[in-house]
Amino acid sequence: MKISLNWVGDFVDISDLSAERIAELLSLHTAEVEGIETVGDAIADVVVAQVVSCDPHPDADKLSVTSVEYGAAEPAQVVCGASNVRKGLKIAFAPVKACLPGDFKIKKAKLRGVTSCGMICSERELELSEEHAGILELPDDAVVGTRLVDHLGLSDSVLDLDNKSLTHRPDLWGHYGFARELAAILNRELIPLPVLEAWPEGSTDLAIELADTQGCPAYFGLAVDLQDGPKAAPALIQERLLAIGQRPVNDLVDLTNYVLQEIGQPTHAFDLDKLSSSDIVVRLAKQGESLTTLDDENRELDARDLVIADKSAAIALAGVMGGAATEVGDSTTRILLESAVFHPVRTRRTSQRTALRSEASMRFEKSLDPNLAEQALRRFAYLLLNARPDARLHGAPASAGLAVAPETILALCPERTARLLGMDLSVSDVAQSLERLGFQVEPQGRLLSVQVPTWRSTKDVTTEVDLIEEVGRLQGYDQIQATPIQAPIVAPPRDPRRQLEHRLTQRLAGVHHCFESQSYSFLDDVWLERLSLPLSDFVVLDNPISDSMRLVRRDPVPSLLEQAHANLRERPSGQLFEFAKGYEPAVDGAAPIERRWLCVVAWAPVQKNESPLQSLFAHSRSMVEDVMATAGLSPHFEPADSVLAWAHPRLHMAARAHRGPEAARLGSFAALHPHLADDLGFDGYQVVVSLLDMSAIYEASKSAKPSFRSPSRLPGIKVDVALALPASLSYAEVEIEVRRAGGKLLDSLELFDLFEGGTLEPGQRSLAFRAVLRAPDRTLVEKDEQKFIKKVTQAAERLGGSLRG
Amino acid sequence: MLERLEELRHEGLTAVEASNSEDELREIEVRLLGRKGALTDLLKSLGTLPKEDRPAAGQAANRVKQEIAAQIEVARGKLHAFNLATDLAGDGLDATLPGPKPPAGGLHPLGQIARELEDVFQSMGFRIADGPEVELEDNNFDALNIPADHPARESHDTIWVTPEGDGRGKGKGVCMRTHTSCVQIRALREHGAPLRVVAPGRVFRQETPDPTHDHTFHQMEGLVVDKGVGVHHLLHAMNTLLEGVFGRKVETRLRPGFFPFVEPGFELDARCPFCKTGCRVCKQSTWIELMPGGMIHPNVLRACDIDPDVYSGYAFGLGLSRMVMLRYGIDDIRWLLSGDLRFLEQFRA
Ligand SMILES: [Zn+2]
Repeated sequence: MKISLNWVGDFVDISDLSAERIAELLSLHTAEVEGIETVGDAIADVVVAQVVSCDPHPDADKLSVTSVEYGAAEPAQVVCGASNVRKGLKIAFAPVKACLPGDFKIKKAKLRGVTSCGMICSERELELSEEHAGILELPDDAVVGTRLVDHLGLSDSVLDLDNKSLTHRPDLWGHYGFARELAAILNRELIPLPVLEAWPEGSTDLAIELADTQGCPAYFGLAVDLQDGPKAAPALIQERLLAIGQRPVNDLVDLTNYVLQEIGQPTHAFDLDKLSSSDIVVRLAKQGESLTTLDDENRELDARDLVIADKSAAIALAGVMGGAATEVGDSTTRILLESAVFHPVRTRRTSQRTALRSEASMRFEKSLDPNLAEQALRRFAYLLLNARPDARLHGAPASAGLAVAPETILALCPERTARLLGMDLSVSDVAQSLERLGFQVEPQGRLLSVQVPTWRSTKDVTTEVDLIEEVGRLQGYDQIQATPIQAPIVAPPRDPRRQLEHRLTQRLAGVHHCFESQSYSFLDDVWLERLSLPLSDFVVLDNPISDSMRLVRRDPVPSLLEQAHANLRERPSGQLFEFAKGYEPAVDGAAPIERRWLCVVAWAPVQKNESPLQSLFAHSRSMVEDVMATAGLSPHFEPADSVLAWAHPRLHMAARAHRGPEAARLGSFAALHPHLADDLGFDGYQVVVSLLDMSAIYEASKSAKPSFRSPSRLPGIKVDVALALPASLSYAEVEIEVRRAGGKLLDSLELFDLFEGGTLEPGQRSLAFRAVLRAPDRTLVEKDEQKFIKKVTQAAERLGGSLRG
Repeated sequence: MLERLEELRHEGLTAVEASNSEDELREIEVRLLGRKGALTDLLKSLGTLPKEDRPAAGQAANRVKQEIAAQIEVARGKLHAFNLATDLAGDGLDATLPGPKPPAGGLHPLGQIARELEDVFQSMGFRIADGPEVELEDNNFDALNIPADHPARESHDTIWVTPEGDGRGKGKGVCMRTHTSCVQIRALREHGAPLRVVAPGRVFRQETPDPTHDHTFHQMEGLVVDKGVGVHHLLHAMNTLLEGVFGRKVETRLRPGFFPFVEPGFELDARCPFCKTGCRVCKQSTWIELMPGGMIHPNVLRACDIDPDVYSGYAFGLGLSRMVMLRYGIDDIRWLLSGDLRFLEQFRA
């Protein structure tokens, strides 16, 4: 919202303050000022000039070659295409290097072979009006060489207020409200708004009917006759509207705009002769009814929309926009000026349904002071009668309904005010702050009885704390001294889940070289097929940001895979992890079920002849084991029995808290299913996804006890054994047998080599183990080693293979 | 005999003098002093001398032997020093070569800043609270004193799960939470007063992404409810928080701001860290709007069964995403959830 300081100055003396200071005062006490514009800045380079010679262009019928005197040493030669250019005319001239609105820089140019140094401007080029039929003609007494803005007297500053910071303040949607604020902040006099105090005697034949008093509790219609049609509004009115970015149209339209911008109450002028009756009804739109609004859009109306109608049809969309058919035009001599109270929320709904957010609807939806409805007509009449001696009112406006602001009287405790604000305030500080803002204050024992003015009581100030805020902001929040709270600090209980996550985060980033990531919570429908899940397994959004973000993720696997893929070109290998929440719909329509996940996605190019022991899958297993160990767990790993669509059917391992079918599942890790890898564009890459259930890990970790084993003081013996075994046997099956062979003496066992081919028989592979044997109470001897090798040999033979050495 | 000795001495010392390599010195050593060397031979031939001459000749020969050996050692030392100096000055040593890239991991700046702030607040007695991202309408709106017809509830602001109708707008809907303020409600209802809580997390709005807006972003809510809590306490907490984020004292100011769940409500501005007289970031004002906050509305306390005549409290909402952007000078909010390693690699573990 734009506020002209000249305009505000009509009602409070601020002539001694800079625009910057006023902006700061309003920001600190009222609402955020986002910027200050100096009116005329955009045309500051334009000067008053005179055409000293004007000849036809030798090669173009419609162009003239002129010489322009503009206060420089030499006149400028300018080619001009306007028909009204002539010798002796005073003009608005933009010399070379001047800047015009829209960042348009004037350069030396050649037009049909003739050099042109500058531009003679039209009103539209100067953004003074829409006029573009010819160049702007200045009066003969205009002084050549002066700046155009000085000549026009355009010196004003306009504040740009953040609309969002005004939504709760119905009183701040016009200049008068800001004058009231500044008067209160500066403790200066607020000049009353000049209005027509007494309506003339007489009556109108207007009849108003309210068919929906919730939608429109009160309606006023003022009939005005004019001898002549609409004219240009007085210069001051036009200037001010221009200053705040409103284009002047004609005096009738401009005055309604002026009143709206001044006190915040929208009014609308109908051409009374274009109405089919002098009976007006405010009613709901009929099924199938439509209305062409002022912007020439034909709008289908909804039965919830409120309209103003004459006998035959809707003539305006209530509180939003007038109709084109009854618009004020050049021939208008009788108008009906509407000023009404419309329901804030219903006005907003209609404005949303029709995608029409007008200056009027923006204000009605703020719960305006109902007293403004008649006030606006009085102000309009005052301004019109001053500007147009030919205007005649028929009498007081016709009206229907009654709307009064809630009478709100609140009890305020001054002591509580001071305590809550953390300010040192006396009772009179409190009372005076409120009085300056127009509240009426009466002492009532230790309390104050405060009557809220009508412009604040509609929704803004309804409780004691609202008054406390008024006192605080008027006193100035800069008076508050930051103070630590004076209450004993009790060490807060730590959230062990969060601590566990922090520990794992450090471990993954520091030891496993993973990068902590954050990915979006929303998924595209294509993931339904990719994950082989029905829509009913997802929380589905009713109004997603876009159609490709309709699903809420169940876990972070899809979003991290998408991030991994986006990295391929710049980073052919990498690891991302995320702790994230996932959601699944609840069966009975209750709040969705939340799960907390840790997901790691690792990717790297496929390596030729890579040992499975060095593969990404093997590394991921080590990482998952280490994460579990960091959580104090040593889980049991087994081939995953459940089928996850994203997981490779065979390279998929699940971790359980311990051995046994009833053990809690802690998560799993898997190579990406080749189908999905193809679909996502991972060809040439190996991708491994680890998905761990943080709730399960946390639960399991609660019962994990820290354990310590004293390192042995006795030496162990290292024994390397290589077994040739059928390739169909899994490592897990072999490991069990080798461990059994080692028995109690086996201190550690590590697979260090794995190969096929060479001298091995087809269908066999070689597994090479390094075992460390140790006894707690004696030094082992060669016989122990021989015994172990013999048992391993027997085990290998049982498994259908042999000891290789 | 003595002449021969003098001859060998002269020969030896001259050769040592002339030598300029270890090989040459070794050769001299072998030729004169070795087991089959000339001086050794001479010593062996002492037997042929008259008995009375033998001791003197023997002593003379040993002296010469020692003298040559000593000179060889001196020459050797010089040679070594010379070679070392040559090596140090020589080619093949390039201290400017790059090393191999160490394997690295990293922490997301959003996570980092949240963890740092959690530490700051825990030391001030705040507990860390959590709440769901898919939230009940009651917690996100109703209990926060946001009227049923408030525009924030409408679908151009809020991402809903519940379709229109279906209880939505009456406190019975489910939505993607639009702020972390709903954790206020959850925490107050769970723990009651007095209470100190911070709650970090992601929030969602109907927003078309651009460099400064995203539909998903991160906030941290803070809340204190106790007897006699005032705005001066809120200001202190906000200042402490900003010191935690920026690692130094930050000049701040409070301005009026409006949020239905606080009254009075504020915006906290900090002095623009990028300029002295105004710049693009601060829109020429030298102040940057950093944090909304306010005194918890009595209606919110009532909705959580806390008596506003006994307790008061403050709440603030820190835009974590914005803090991260300001702290590191990140120019586009969309980097934060991009997962782009070129972005993430800049934040080390
Ligand atoms: Zn700045």
